[in-house]
Amino acid sequence: MGLKEDKIVPGREERVAACMAFGGCASGIGKQDKICLKNNERGFSQAGLCQLLPTLGMLLTLPETAVIVHGAIGCGSTGFGMNTSIRLHHLLRGNPNAKDSLWFSTNLDESDVVHGGEQRLEETILAVNEKYKPKSIIVMHTCTPSIIGDDLVGVIEKVRPLIDTSLLYSHCEGFKTKVWATGYDVAFHAMVHGFIEKDKDGPPPKKEGRKPGERPIVNVINLASMGKPDEVELERLLNAIGIDVVIGPNFADRETIRRMTQADLTVSVCPTHDDYLVHYLNTEYGIPCVLKDMPIGLENTRRWLLDIAGNFGLENEALALIEAEEAKVKKGVEKYLPALKGIKVFLSAGEFRALVTGGLFQELGMEIVGLRSYHHDDFGTEFYDRLIEAQKGKDFPIDIANFQPFELVNLLKKVDPDLFCGHVFDNAWAARLGYPTITIFRIFDHYVGYRGFYEVAKKAVRNLRNHAFNAKLSQNVPEAYRKEWYEKSPFAYIKSEAA
Amino acid sequence: MSTHIERPRYQCALGGALVTINSIERAVAIVHSAPGCAASADGAATVGGGYWGTTLTDGRATPSTNILEREVIFGGEDRLAEQIAATLEVVDADVYAVITGCMTDIIGDDVRAVVGEFRKHGKPVIVAETGGFKGDSTVGADFIWEAIITQFVEKGLEKDPKLVNLFGFVPAQDVFWRGNLLEIKRLLGLLGIKANTFLTPFDDLKDLKEASRASLNIVFSDVHGVKPAEVFEFTHGTPFVSEPLPIGPTATEEFLRRIAAQLKVDDETLERVIADEKAYYYRFINPLTDLFTDQDFQRFGVVIGNANYTFAVNRFIADDLGWIPYFTAVTDLLNEEQKQAVAKRLETIPADLRPKLIFEADTDRITERLNEQLAQEDDPYGTPISPAFVIGSNLDRPLAAGLKAAFWGVSYPITNRIVTDQFYAGFRGGLHLVTELISVLVSNR
Repeated sequence: MGLKEDKIVPGREERVAACMAFGGCASGIGKQDKICLKNNERGFSQAGLCQLLPTLGMLLTLPETAVIVHGAIGCGSTGFGMNTSIRLHHLLRGNPNAKDSLWFSTNLDESDVVHGGEQRLEETILAVNEKYKPKSIIVMHTCTPSIIGDDLVGVIEKVRPLIDTSLLYSHCEGFKTKVWATGYDVAFHAMVHGFIEKDKDGPPPKKEGRKPGERPIVNVINLASMGKPDEVELERLLNAIGIDVVIGPNFADRETIRRMTQADLTVSVCPTHDDYLVHYLNTEYGIPCVLKDMPIGLENTRRWLLDIAGNFGLENEALALIEAEEAKVKKGVEKYLPALKGIKVFLSAGEFRALVTGGLFQELGMEIVGLRSYHHDDFGTEFYDRLIEAQKGKDFPIDIANFQPFELVNLLKKVDPDLFCGHVFDNAWAARLGYPTITIFRIFDHYVGYRGFYEVAKKAVRNLRNHAFNAKLSQNVPEAYRKEWYEKSPFAYIKSEAA
Repeated sequence: MSTHIERPRYQCALGGALVTINSIERAVAIVHSAPGCAASADGAATVGGGYWGTTLTDGRATPSTNILEREVIFGGEDRLAEQIAATLEVVDADVYAVITGCMTDIIGDDVRAVVGEFRKHGKPVIVAETGGFKGDSTVGADFIWEAIITQFVEKGLEKDPKLVNLFGFVPAQDVFWRGNLLEIKRLLGLLGIKANTFLTPFDDLKDLKEASRASLNIVFSDVHGVKPAEVFEFTHGTPFVSEPLPIGPTATEEFLRRIAAQLKVDDETLERVIADEKAYYYRFINPLTDLFTDQDFQRFGVVIGNANYTFAVNRFIADDLGWIPYFTAVTDLLNEEQKQAVAKRLETIPADLRPKLIFEADTDRITERLNEQLAQEDDPYGTPISPAFVIGSNLDRPLAAGLKAAFWGVSYPITNRIVTDQFYAGFRGGLHLVTELISVLVSNR
């Protein structure tokens, strides 16, 4: 099965045996039984995300789209927050007059729960189409209509012939998977089926081979959370070695997404994020892919560029570029290295991002002393070993946790790092303990490639230089957990059950 | 009959219950629902509430059963029991509130029985069924207040004649709830009345436990918090009054006079407090008179927001600012009886200054209704309400731009500024509001 055949996107626990709960040593994770890992659970748990949220975050980036969240009024209530973020993206993309995103709730109430919501959904799609004439309409199916048995696909296929707009749908019920990263797959599934497979013009034909002398075109899969500066950096590097790029599918329109079927290579920026789409382009359009590194830090960026160049016989061009860029950036960070030498850093983010950022910090002379990943799958396994190797075999504790800040604060108190680097909503926990923090990335910042290497170093030094905000804060905040909690292992509530 | 809603400006019932618990010191919620429900519910409020943010056991630290398909099929009661026991072990709080989401309400988990077992053993656990499909945040806030009042507040305590409880605030739905409550408490304190606010970071849970000592409950709404106040009266014998949120000198003076009469505050104190507070307002306003009059800062008002704010703001701009309220949209999901209560309150504004009132939850339909209204105006230049000022939420900026009107956000969601201890209630709150509105008018200078 794959993206094309899947009627409903399988949860990542099924598709890639992803794990949400593990605590132990970095060196141990690759040796764990995957099935046991997948079945680990928590007896005490804190709020995670559901797959609807990343799906909504990605699909709202499509230009002039209307998102209909089919469910009770609260699902999708974060839409305005995502809209704020998307407005900022558009500003960075030189598009200050972009319209606000459109999102709707079908607002199912108690009576609908009894009588069903299909008619409301149908009316909503037609009304939204009539009134707003969006370029695409996206329906997101949530827990409530799923449990009461609304036939989403039935409604979609009934309405599709009646309207001229691309119609996308996604099954993204929160209770269907514990791995919210499944939401990325769900968004890709919706885009591919809406703009390619079930598009009014049908799927584009396969591209014929590249003509001699034609510059290769590669797809760079972007992230909804990836800022314009990073896209510019990747495009710059690839252009410099003679490669043209199509960036999508986030923020891309129908035509751009369809154009992605005509590329010579698909390049992932984050394998764990992209594999479902990349495999589709590979299976259906025969487009080869680069799917193992994230261009963050010198070594990873080098490997990423060489992998891509290797597909087109451009290794020499790539090596020349890498040499020049490395020389420039190493000179650039020289003045920051003394302040970073030996700094013990704790990372927290999506697994792949956390791991490759760890590599970047090591290249700056820092040591990894702890790492929290939001989930674990095979894409990450070898990177744990790489980090250990890079610091001469020094192992470190890891926590595989869909947030679970109670584990994080317990672990932080035991590890006592010099610096914490976390994804948004992670940094506050470390800040309240008084640690210097740097946010791992923002859409305004450079994070990938050579420019990213320089900017991360600079940001780390700046935050280490004065962390008075966090230090003073830590003396003035109450404690959430009982003392006894800190006497226990941070992983005390992780239950391993046999499959 | 409900309909779809474009850009809804609230969370679900679960969300309203969750943010209420999150605002009560040493209370913690245990969400019994799918993963993502708590994150959606308070994630929206903690950003849209002027970046209210999170503290200890809210946001991603909210205890949650995170139930999945297995529980939806086989029931989630065991998982809930496990989670409650574990939360009692790990989280240091004094009351634990179990609240539920759509799927647990649909599959019919007997959450009351599960919680009952803990209560039997003296554990401070309460429960409310708050499935999202039961209504918006304000409905959920009412549910959790009813649970608190019947399951947590002590019964049979002696009444204190000078103690009142303040209700009717839904955190984040009133982005300024903390500041408003603290200011009303300060004002009542000047009259010798002690007010329990419950939802500020400075409240003591003991006051909530002993809230039944109050002689009067003041509900700052004609709709939100009314049902819990009725439950309170039935359970603890404390009567209640519905008061509009008082913004500015005229509304606040009237409010203080009514409460003083009810609680028998002596005239001398009352008159002194009113005179002092009014002087505070006017001694800052007086020097602005040149600016107001020379620059013709009178505006037509378009006010969009929840039931509590729309009346309060319209009244302030009519009574104290001397503006012309033109159109107002109440964005809550209200039943007919509640709509009547809101309409009746608006009728206290004299007819020639009373804005056209609509009830509309859908952001875009508000614009449509306003345009319909404008189309009926006879104006050869097509500018019947210019100069206009839109006072609404961040979602109403496009409407203001379409009108070429000034804009200021005072309703949820607010994402273009942060809100800490600002407030609009009272004499000083009115001063803050006028300061902000006029600042918008001079912001391009």
